Amino acid sequence: MEVVEGLMTQSAQLREAAYLSDQNYDQQIRETVASLRHVISKKSLAAFASNASLLDHFDPVADSLVYLFLLRAQIQAFQEESRENVPPALLPPGNLWSRIVTYLRAFDPVQVRYAGQEWRQLVEIVAQAAQVVSKPILAVRPVRDAMLRLDPSCAVFTSTHLLLVRLCLRARAYTHALPVLDKYVCHFPTSISHATSKFPVLPCAAHDSSLSFITETSGISSKLAYKDYLQYFLLGGMIYMALKQWGKAAHYLGVVISMPTAGPISMIMVEAYKKWILVKLLENGKVSSPSNLIPSHTAKLYQSLARPYVNLAHSFQRGDLENLEAEVDAGRDIWCTDHNMGLVSQVLSAFSKHTVMGIRQTFAALTVKELADQASSMRMSDEATESAIASFIMSGAVKATLVQHSSGTSSTMLRFSAARSSPQFSDESKAQACLARESQSLGALMESLHEIGHHMGLSNEFVDGMQRGQIWANADDANTGIGEDAGLEIDEDLMGEVP
Amino acid sequence: MELPPFSLEQISKLAANNFPPSQLFEILSQYETDASIMSAGSGSAETGGGDPQLLSLFYSSFFFAHLLTKQLPEARALTQRMPETLRHQDPSLQNCLTLLRALWQTQHAQVYQILRGLPWPESLQPLVRRYESFFQDDTLIAISTCYEAIRPSTAANYLGLDPQTAEQGDSAVIEKFTSCGWTWDPAAQLLHPSPIVVQTTDKPSSNGIRETMAMLGNSGK
Repeated sequence: MEVVEGLMTQSAQLREAAYLSDQNYDQQIRETVASLRHVISKKSLAAFASNASLLDHFDPVADSLVYLFLLRAQIQAFQEESRENVPPALLPPGNLWSRIVTYLRAFDPVQVRYAGQEWRQLVEIVAQAAQVVSKPILAVRPVRDAMLRLDPSCAVFTSTHLLLVRLCLRARAYTHALPVLDKYVCHFPTSISHATSKFPVLPCAAHDSSLSFITETSGISSKLAYKDYLQYFLLGGMIYMALKQWGKAAHYLGVVISMPTAGPISMIMVEAYKKWILVKLLENGKVSSPSNLIPSHTAKLYQSLARPYVNLAHSFQRGDLENLEAEVDAGRDIWCTDHNMGLVSQVLSAFSKHTVMGIRQTFAALTVKELADQASSMRMSDEATESAIASFIMSGAVKATLVQHSSGTSSTMLRFSAARSSPQFSDESKAQACLARESQSLGALMESLHEIGHHMGLSNEFVDGMQRGQIWANADDANTGIGEDAGLEIDEDLMGEVP
Repeated sequence: MELPPFSLEQISKLAANNFPPSQLFEILSQYETDASIMSAGSGSAETGGGDPQLLSLFYSSFFFAHLLTKQLPEARALTQRMPETLRHQDPSLQNCLTLLRALWQTQHAQVYQILRGLPWPESLQPLVRRYESFFQDDTLIAISTCYEAIRPSTAANYLGLDPQTAEQGDSAVIEKFTSCGWTWDPAAQLLHPSPIVVQTTDKPSSNGIRETMAMLGNSGK
C-alpha cells in the first residue's frame, strides 16, 4: 500500500506543478514518468494490479500520468497471468476495457506527451481487443478521439494514423476516419536532435506545431517504414472510395503512385495505380496524365503492369460501350483477383452519365429521344431515360435542364446550359463556404511550411538528416517483395468489400 | 457530455424528439458502441445477442439519422454493420434495406410507397414521417432547378402526390407548387419551376474571404 500512497503523493505534486513555470512543470513530469517507469519495471504494483478499485483513487484527467501507468500495470499483470497478448479481462465490455476507453477520451494531452510509448501501447491494445471480439467498430471512436486529443492537427504522421484507417475499413465505419483523413499530413516524426539542437523545446509548453513533441523518441509512433506511409494513403483512398468521394480518393491514390522511389515501384503503388485509373473514370470520365512528379519510365512501368485497366479506360473514353463491356467481361478474373470488381461495376454504371456529359460538347439542346439514339448506353424507355437524366442533373453531375411538353407523347427537351444555374445567393454562399474551407486548409499548410522552413533554416543537421532519410527509404525499397506482399494480404481482402 | 444509458426509452425519446439531424446523428453515433457490445452478448438464437427490440429500434433510428444528414453511402455501410441475424429477420431493418435500395436507385415513387405503406414500428414513426417530409422538400428543391417546365403529373410523382389528380389540374395540388414560387400555365397545362433558395444560417463573413485572399497573395511572394 506504500507504493500506492507514493503514487498519490506524486500525482498531487504533479497537479501543483501545473501552475508553475514550464521548466518546473517539465522537470516534475519527467521525474514522475521516470519514477513510474521504474515502478512498472520492478513490478512493485503486481500485488495491486488485479485490484480494480485501485484506479478509483485517481482521476483519469487530473492524474493522467499515474492513471496511464496503472492501466499499463494492470494490463501487464493480466497478460502475464493469462500468457496472452490480449487477456480475457481486457476484452469489451469488461471493466478494464471501459476504464481504458474512458481514459482515452479524457486524458491530459500535455502530460501524455511525456509517456508517448505507454499511450500508444494503450491505443494499440484497444484496437487489438476490439478485433479479438470481431468488433473493430468498438475501437474506432476511442482510437480516433485519442489521436485528436493528443494532436488536434494530426499533421505528423504516426503509426496510429495507419491503425485508425485499418480499423475504419474493417469496421466499415468510413466517416469515422474523416476527422483525421481530411487533415493534411505534413511531417514525419523527426529525431529529437532536430527539434532541440539549438532551441530546446519543452513538450509541456504551448507549440505551434505538434512536430515539436511528436518525435522519433517520443514513442507516440512506433517505428515507421516507407510502406506504412504508402499504405495509409492507399487505405485512406479506399475510405473515400467507399464514401464515393472520388476527387479525394484520386488525390490519396495519387500520393501513393507519385511517391519518389529510388528502386523499383512496389506492389502497393501498382495496386494504387489500378484503383486510381478506375477512380479517375468515375470522377471525370477520363484518365488524365498522372502527376508530373512521376518519371516517364515509371509511368510506362505502371501502364504495362496495369494493362487491362488501361485498355478498360481507353474503351470508356472512346465511348464504345460494346468494347467496354467486352473488356469488363474479358478481365473479370483480373478484377476479382485484384478485388476491384465492385469498382469496375461502378465504372460500367457510370458510363451513361459520362456519355450524357460528353454529348454536351456537341449539342446545346436535344430531345431525350434523340439523346437515347446518340447514346447506345441509354437502352431504356423514353420515360426511364428522362428519369435517369433527371437524376444526373439533380445529383449535380450534369449541368442541364429539362423542358417537358404538355403532351406526354412529345419527347422532353434537354438543354445543356448554365443559364439556369442555382440562384446567385446559393452560388455565393457555396463559394464562401468553399473559400472558408480552403482558408483553413491553407492556414494549416502555411503553418507546416513555416515549420519546415524553420528547421531547414536553423538546423545545420537538416541536410544530414535528409541524407539519412534517403538511406532509410532506399533500404526499405530494397526489401520490396515479400514484405510488401505480406502487408497487402490484409488490405486486399478489404479492397474487394468496398462497395 | 455523458449520455443517459442505452435503453429502449432513451432511443424512443430520441426518435420522437425533433433534434437537428446532425445532433441526432452524433448522439446515436455514440450509442453504436453500446449496441455493438449488446449484440455480441448473449441472447436468443434467432435474433443474436441482446435485446432485439432495442437493437432494431436503435439501428433503424440510426439509419434514418444517416438519411436525414444525407449520408447515403455511410447508411449503406451501417446496414453492413448491423448484427447479421437481426438484419435478416427484423421487419423494421428489412424495411430499411428496401428503402435504401429505392433511394440508391433514385426511385422516388417507390420511396414514398415504402415510407407510407410498409409497417414501421410505432416508436419509429416520428422519424419515418420526418424523413418523408425531408425527402419531399429535398426533391422539390432538386426538381425546381432540374426542370424549366414540368407536367403536374411528373412533379406529383416526384413528390409522392397523386399523379392523376395532378394531371387533372386539381387546384389544391397546383397550389402546393405555386406556393413555392412556381408558375402555372393553365393553357399549356405546365408548371414552370422557380429555383428555390435555401438560406444557410451561417452569416456571411467577408473577413474570412479577405483573409484568404491575403494569404493567397502572401504565399505567392
